[in-house]
Amino acid sequence: MTRLASILLWGGISALGAGAFGVLALSRGETLSAAWLLTAAVCTYAVAYRFYSKFLAARVFGLDDRRATPAERCNNGRDYVPTNKWVLYGHHFAAIAGAGPLVGPVLAAQFGFLPGTLWLVIGVVLGGAVQDFTILFCSLRRDGKSLGQMAKEEINHSAGITGMLAVLFIMIILLAVLALIVVNALKASPWGLFTIACTVPIALLMGWWMKRWRPGKVGEASIAGAVLLLGALVAGGWVAAQPHLASAFTHSATAITWMMVAYGFVASVLPVWMLLCPRDYLSTFLKITTILVLALAILVILPPLKMPALTPFASLGEGPVFAGKLFPFAFITIACGAISGFHSLVASGTTPKMIARESDARFIGYGGMLMESFVGVMAMIAACTLDPGVYFAMNTTPTGLAQASQVLSQAGFVVTPDIMHQLANQMGEQTLIARSGGAPSLAVGMAQIFASVSSALGGRTLTALWYHFAIMFEALFILTTIDTGTRVGRFMLQEIVGHVWPRFGETSWYPSVLASSAVIVAGWGYFLYQGVVDPLGGINSLWPLFGISNQLLAAVALCVGTTILIKMGRQRFAWVTLTPLAWLVTVTMTAGWQKVFSADPKLGFLAHAASLTGSTLPGAQRLVFNDRLNTFVALLFMTVVTVLIVTSVREWWLVLSKRKVAVVHEAPFVESAYAAGD
Amino acid sequence: MRLVTDGGSGRQKTAQGGTGWRHALRRMFGMPDYDAYLEHCRAAGHEPPSKGEYLAQFFESKGKGVRCC
Repeated sequence: MTRLASILLWGGISALGAGAFGVLALSRGETLSAAWLLTAAVCTYAVAYRFYSKFLAARVFGLDDRRATPAERCNNGRDYVPTNKWVLYGHHFAAIAGAGPLVGPVLAAQFGFLPGTLWLVIGVVLGGAVQDFTILFCSLRRDGKSLGQMAKEEINHSAGITGMLAVLFIMIILLAVLALIVVNALKASPWGLFTIACTVPIALLMGWWMKRWRPGKVGEASIAGAVLLLGALVAGGWVAAQPHLASAFTHSATAITWMMVAYGFVASVLPVWMLLCPRDYLSTFLKITTILVLALAILVILPPLKMPALTPFASLGEGPVFAGKLFPFAFITIACGAISGFHSLVASGTTPKMIARESDARFIGYGGMLMESFVGVMAMIAACTLDPGVYFAMNTTPTGLAQASQVLSQAGFVVTPDIMHQLANQMGEQTLIARSGGAPSLAVGMAQIFASVSSALGGRTLTALWYHFAIMFEALFILTTIDTGTRVGRFMLQEIVGHVWPRFGETSWYPSVLASSAVIVAGWGYFLYQGVVDPLGGINSLWPLFGISNQLLAAVALCVGTTILIKMGRQRFAWVTLTPLAWLVTVTMTAGWQKVFSADPKLGFLAHAASLTGSTLPGAQRLVFNDRLNTFVALLFMTVVTVLIVTSVREWWLVLSKRKVAVVHEAPFVESAYAAGD
Repeated sequence: MRLVTDGGSGRQKTAQGGTGWRHALRRMFGMPDYDAYLEHCRAAGHEPPSKGEYLAQFFESKGKGVRCC
């Protein structure tokens, strides 16, 4: 392409994106098409990938295709395998994309579609994709070492231990929040519970198929599993219509909590091939297919956005979905999709061991995260196509809705019991009120989009089926994260205790397996139970904790990345990681401080505890205890990360002031056979 | 230095993502691929494990992977 054509092309894309942002920013009151949102996002991604990621790859990291990657040097045919970049892109995306980019934007829609979308797009370009790319690059140059190992080697030993503890604590909160989303989606929903319950025997059957009956035939087993799953989905509608059967699958949130806890424990102690692997394959197939279909459906129908650009809750800070103002809470509510610390575990896990050429890291690390952000934008669109009144009625408790009713009616967000009843009937549910957690409202949005497409294609709308398909899709991969998360948490606990009691560290010693699984499940199970019985709906207190912890893990990753850049002598480029780091620390520390010390009982844990002191309400003492526990957890996260940041800054100062020799723990240079060609 | 990749040697095989779309799909979805592993062992001069042993090790290692939120 000639230089002029290139300038015209990229100038045109930039102008189109800027124009779309202009329309989004300046429109007030008009109904906007989702096309504007998609155009703004896609043009920004294209420009960022073309220019910024190229700058990072060439100037900041100095990716060198002459250098053999760990996949080439340590090729063992299993973990270390040079892999085509498109194949690895799919693999990496399947590992990083979970419920987070779908649920976070739905919850942040409380502020309107604009703040969340801006954060998704700008956050990913300057923060999330940079973090993923940086950690992938660092791990790639260190034989695929994990984030904790890199922190230990590049910063110091205590930083490594601190990082490992941070990951363990974050895992517990993360699993509790994800489980709460599933509980809220399945409570009093016989159709949903029946379908999800069926996934357990289906996964067991698949496990037996691919391990015992037809060893290694994972594709066959997965196709059979997917067919059975769709059968279970259709059968769920029939079950829900039979009063005697429906009652067997209609349970309270508390009962489903206990089921989840039991499931998590069993999944952690069973052999992996029996339940975890088959469920993982099933959910990966379903996840990639559904996300592609959702993207196509949105592109085909380009639904109008009913939520305004900004709602009154952006500045009032008393939103019914969760308390707190736009700053800082929009930026911790949306973690995955903009920047997620958890990605640094994947980017320093399997992916760096499979990269064939260093230059592929740009497409996989930076490009993969842009795609996750796009998923977040689609979730935002799905949530904002709902009528705002319906959105708020679904995402808060009846008490919360009553308290916010004046603001809601002033903003014109009207909802009546009849509308909610009609919608619940349409979706094949008994009620959709107080279905907080984001999953049910996303499912309603997705169902309406899919139903519009099937109707436009001349078929029946099948709204109830689509709704339960969306619930199954979300619950399935949340449960996969719970399976793998509990198991990974168990391994970490075994490793930590193994330092003082070596026998406990043996991952195959059954007493240790049972005890460590029980501790991890009890940890997230307690927070889950706390969320379920919370009169404010649970999401109000747990999602911000999850957001804070996830973003603080991102801060840990960016500290490691900055340290490595400085040690490599690239300190003039340290701003690429320092800028998102500074933003994340500001946002998360502010949010953490407000969650603990705000005088507003809806926002601050301590103020809420104080408001309940002396109360005769049933369970008041437990709520006070939970508030104090949440305070402890938030302060613990903040302290752990402060220690790590201080340790890192000290290391930077020592290296930059030449008081310490910068030792980079990179694997030695070995020339790549690929660079020379065959 | 000439190193062997999953589906043969060098740039061409890696660019194809193994030896075809089946290998590519298996790798993308993290499925076991015993044939590709046998190929690797043959080229590297290793004694390959039995299919059962390979699958057991593969699934065990998959259980240690992280799935993001």
